Amino acid sequence: MKTAGHDPEKPKGLILRVQRMSTEDGPGIRSTVFFKGCPLQCVWCHNPESIPGRPQVHWVGSRCIGCLSCIEVCPENALKTTDSGMEIDRQACTDCLCCAQTCPSTAMEIYGRCFSPEDLVNELMKDRVYFEQSKGGVTLSGGEPTRQPDFARKVLESLKGKGIHTALDTCGQCPWERLEMLLPFTDLLLYDLKLMDEELHRGYTGLCGSQIQRNLARIRDYCRKLHNPLEIWVRTPVIPGHTDSEENIRAIGAFIRDTMAGTVSRWELCAFNNLCAHKYDGLGINWKCRDCGLVAQGHMERLAQAASESAGRGVIVHASGATAGTESRGHPPAPERSCPPAGRETPR
Amino acid sequence: MAMAEALDDPGKKIKKPKNLSPRIRWLRDYYFQGTSRAWNNEFTAWTTGMPWDVQFDEMTFYIVPETYAFLQTFRSSMQQAAHTVKLDPVFWTWSLPERKAWLIREVMVNHVPCEVLPGDLIAGGRFNIQTSMCWTKKEARERDRLIYGRKGARASMKWFHDHGYGNSGATSGHLIPGYERILNLGWKGIYEDLRRRYEFLDAKEKKGSTGAQLRAMMTAAAMPRDLAGKYAGLLEKLAGEEQDLLRKTELVRMAENLRHVPWEPARTFWEAVQALWITHMLVMSDENYPGPGVSFGRIDQYLLPYWEHSIAQGMDREFGKEILKCFWIHANTVYDAMIRIGNMGITSGYGQLITLSGMGRDGRDMTNDLTYAMLEVIDELSPILEPKPNIRLHKGSPEELLDKVVDMVSTSQGSPFLLNFDERSMAGMMREAKKACVEHLINEGNVHDYAPVGCLENTMAGNDRSGTVDNNLNLLKSVELALNDGKDFFDFVDPITGKREKVRQAGPRTGDAASLRSWEDFWSAYARQTKFIIKQCVELYEKSESIRARFCPTPYVSCLVKGCAEKGLDITQGGAELNFTTLEAVTFATTVDSLLAIRHLVYDTKQCTLQELVKALKANWQGFEKLQALATYKAPKYGRDDDEADAMARAVMDLWCEETWRHRTRSTGRQFRPGMLSWNYWVGDGFILPASPDGRPKGRFLSNAICPVSGADINGPTANMNSVGKALGGKAEKGPGDWGGYLNCLPNGASHTISMSPSLLRDPEHKEKFKAFLKGSLEQGGTSLQVNMIDAAMLHDAQRRPEGYQSLLVRITGYNAYFTTIGRELQNEVIARISHESL
Repeated sequence: MKTAGHDPEKPKGLILRVQRMSTEDGPGIRSTVFFKGCPLQCVWCHNPESIPGRPQVHWVGSRCIGCLSCIEVCPENALKTTDSGMEIDRQACTDCLCCAQTCPSTAMEIYGRCFSPEDLVNELMKDRVYFEQSKGGVTLSGGEPTRQPDFARKVLESLKGKGIHTALDTCGQCPWERLEMLLPFTDLLLYDLKLMDEELHRGYTGLCGSQIQRNLARIRDYCRKLHNPLEIWVRTPVIPGHTDSEENIRAIGAFIRDTMAGTVSRWELCAFNNLCAHKYDGLGINWKCRDCGLVAQGHMERLAQAASESAGRGVIVHASGATAGTESRGHPPAPERSCPPAGRETPR
Repeated sequence: MAMAEALDDPGKKIKKPKNLSPRIRWLRDYYFQGTSRAWNNEFTAWTTGMPWDVQFDEMTFYIVPETYAFLQTFRSSMQQAAHTVKLDPVFWTWSLPERKAWLIREVMVNHVPCEVLPGDLIAGGRFNIQTSMCWTKKEARERDRLIYGRKGARASMKWFHDHGYGNSGATSGHLIPGYERILNLGWKGIYEDLRRRYEFLDAKEKKGSTGAQLRAMMTAAAMPRDLAGKYAGLLEKLAGEEQDLLRKTELVRMAENLRHVPWEPARTFWEAVQALWITHMLVMSDENYPGPGVSFGRIDQYLLPYWEHSIAQGMDREFGKEILKCFWIHANTVYDAMIRIGNMGITSGYGQLITLSGMGRDGRDMTNDLTYAMLEVIDELSPILEPKPNIRLHKGSPEELLDKVVDMVSTSQGSPFLLNFDERSMAGMMREAKKACVEHLINEGNVHDYAPVGCLENTMAGNDRSGTVDNNLNLLKSVELALNDGKDFFDFVDPITGKREKVRQAGPRTGDAASLRSWEDFWSAYARQTKFIIKQCVELYEKSESIRARFCPTPYVSCLVKGCAEKGLDITQGGAELNFTTLEAVTFATTVDSLLAIRHLVYDTKQCTLQELVKALKANWQGFEKLQALATYKAPKYGRDDDEADAMARAVMDLWCEETWRHRTRSTGRQFRPGMLSWNYWVGDGFILPASPDGRPKGRFLSNAICPVSGADINGPTANMNSVGKALGGKAEKGPGDWGGYLNCLPNGASHTISMSPSLLRDPEHKEKFKAFLKGSLEQGGTSLQVNMIDAAMLHDAQRRPEGYQSLLVRITGYNAYFTTIGRELQNEVIARISHESL
């Protein structure tokens, strides 16, 4: 399914999960809605289960009681047990989900659940009090929310109508019209800029990234025309050996300074970790970034410094994520300090 | 500020005391030398010398199952260790309360040594005693018959516990004595009041029990004066010998203080703290019960006038804190009671609770300079256990206080502290007023002066004994009985003697599994069994309560609780104005989830019959693993903010609460009221109660207080919080509710613990988010909250027992993962990181 739901008036959304009391996706306490389906295929992706735009099963070993009902019920014979647990033959699997429905212990779990906008909004409103107290709200993330634009619009519109702060976390890889649909109901845009070099971008994400930059430039025009109706934060994943060159950070900074001039208020550098390795295992994917290691603390500090210098005035650079205390790039040693200096303000 | 330094320094692993003067450092270090100290406050035992004499009151430990095997040993060893007190020649002509008052006074004033430690600013050292019950031979024989008989209190309590119902016993401590009145009037004022009342009695009353009680209380009321006099004498002697001029001045001043207080009203802060300490320690002497739950109430309110006065008179603020720090160290000497053995099953802090901050009249915030001074004292002395702080928060709590609270949460290793939520708590107290028809004593005008005792058990102060730990009932027992027609699943086999006791028809016959055809049938069976187990608990309590009322007066404590002098009744006989006993429900969430699973599996989705489910439970799920998995993973659960599941929680709550309000003790007229504390029983009783329909096998922990079953709250802390608030009643659809729009069916309050990842407090931005979470919790959540920071120990436990930690979300600065779903290698890495983050 490309965009879920055919009737734009009654769209259904395919949602990976709703994470309540989320503290890392915008201001305050938020509920983050992870959409399923993404046009990019970043090799470092932390949520590989969010990339395919259809429900999928995966196996959670810690819950499995070994009853084998899943194997019995699978019409495609796509399941078998091995020494390392349940093996799902992804070629044979048709995502019929019979196994997950039969599994008594949710060890065969479905990634992806259908929501109507009303049901989703009702669920999100349960934390209204916490949103109000923290000046938080709801973040649509993913996956890629712009892949389900009708649904996303309904949800955002409804939340706005209830006075809830909304954030849209996007990779920017979509036709401009979709962003144009969603921006009027968005208070904060979290926009990924990963790599400025088109070839590297293509190599690591599958697409060249020019549309991402074009869209961001149009968002700038949109903001200027409407006198800054929304706040923009740029986010950059700092992946060792992939996006963590000072050159790349400075190039992104230059884009923020020159192209976005004055419309971006914050730039978040998010350091890589490999804690999602088990998800790749569950999906039967051999993850290339498994052994990337943590970003060295000193390097992260240098990048934050480069970011501050290059992004220009008025952009708060914020670095987060686990870092390693030494320069080594191998398996991370016991970390000594996980929080790099936070909230560094650009020198004036 | 000192607090900020600790946070900024990532090298600090264990919290260390700081900003301590040489005096306080010495006292603190000396205290922590433990058994190697030359001085300690170990129990001393005192007897009338009669062969039938008893010192140890076992009933007060009926709620501590760990002690059951040792009750006889305690009794005998105290007897053996007891020193004989030379009795007044007419001692045996007096009434029991008079004998008791005289003996305790004699022991404390003339036998227990008085000592003052070097540098200490507060006098009042030894107070842990086990004293004669002062019974005549006839009284001792009668009491022993009631305790040890075949249907006596001990056998009954043991049966109750062995069969998984829980425990119950008339327990000491657990109240807020009227300390404020002592500071204002002095003991002289109390004594005068008693004397006037006594003189007002007619001759017959004087001869009777009322006269005896008032005479006993007068004797007790003079005890603090006499003991203060002893200490004053000692201090004068020490001052005479002292070479250091500064110390000499202090000793002289301390002696002067004690020549004045606690007999006269306090004039200065130093006098007030001294009077408070002597008065407090004697409560523990009087009850022979060190610490547990003898709470100070709103100490930052009633000490404030003295603090402000002394500061205005030139007292250095740091010196004021120095006085408080001495007071703090004194409070910790309760633990000396059995210093060479252990703490008689008391595994956590004793809970001499202090209440800080909170709401005043008209919603005003009462935080003041003394609140902050006390928080500084706690911070500077930490880690230290007593007195345990409970900070009252409300919608008007100042940002400065909230900031301090958040800082304390982030550095609270080893020093637990609790938060109380005023609005919800006050709603519960107002509900109590209405239910028990005591609106003249608890109302809009004074409900803000409530305070918690022990941990979080809400009461009023100075006129209230609510027996907040006395009855602990496993609601889950009624599920077992409902599934099995009112009978236990199994014969009981005594683990020590191996003696087998056949299953018998304990509860009402509510039909066997086959006959319960619909959910409504099952629910009505459950409801009848719930009423039955509550009745059982009430009957059991009556045994120890009536024995205590006849044989165990505490005339000194009675002086400190309004109502006793007025009625001429000891507090143990129901003398308090607010005369409650609390039924603390244990296993709430396990019960709710069990009912949800029964409805889901048997009646809604028909995945098994009730008979099959009973068979599975009797087999402890062996051979029924699929059914167990369905119950565990596919049935709805309380704690996820799922309205349907939370409606079940409300139904369970309403049922047992309403039933609880129907009962009163016969002997003492104490009204039962509902609460949820559940201390550590949810751990131990998990090995007694059989497998439960929620998927739990025998031996796995039950649920704690009002918390969701460990690991069931997979939608995070806000969902957990919302479920708890809903279980208590939520908010009124319209109108004022119980108080300010809030509803709360548990006047006692409910213990609620949440675990948080330390990364949530890693920088100012995230601390603000956490503060907002607390503010949201005030509106949405329960009566109290304890926040535990996830640490390496918890994660190691999660590796061992993943089933209890399904919901454990670890946040590694920006990345969240359910801990139990990631591989061992990564788990170890998370542990390494989190150990570091909690620095």
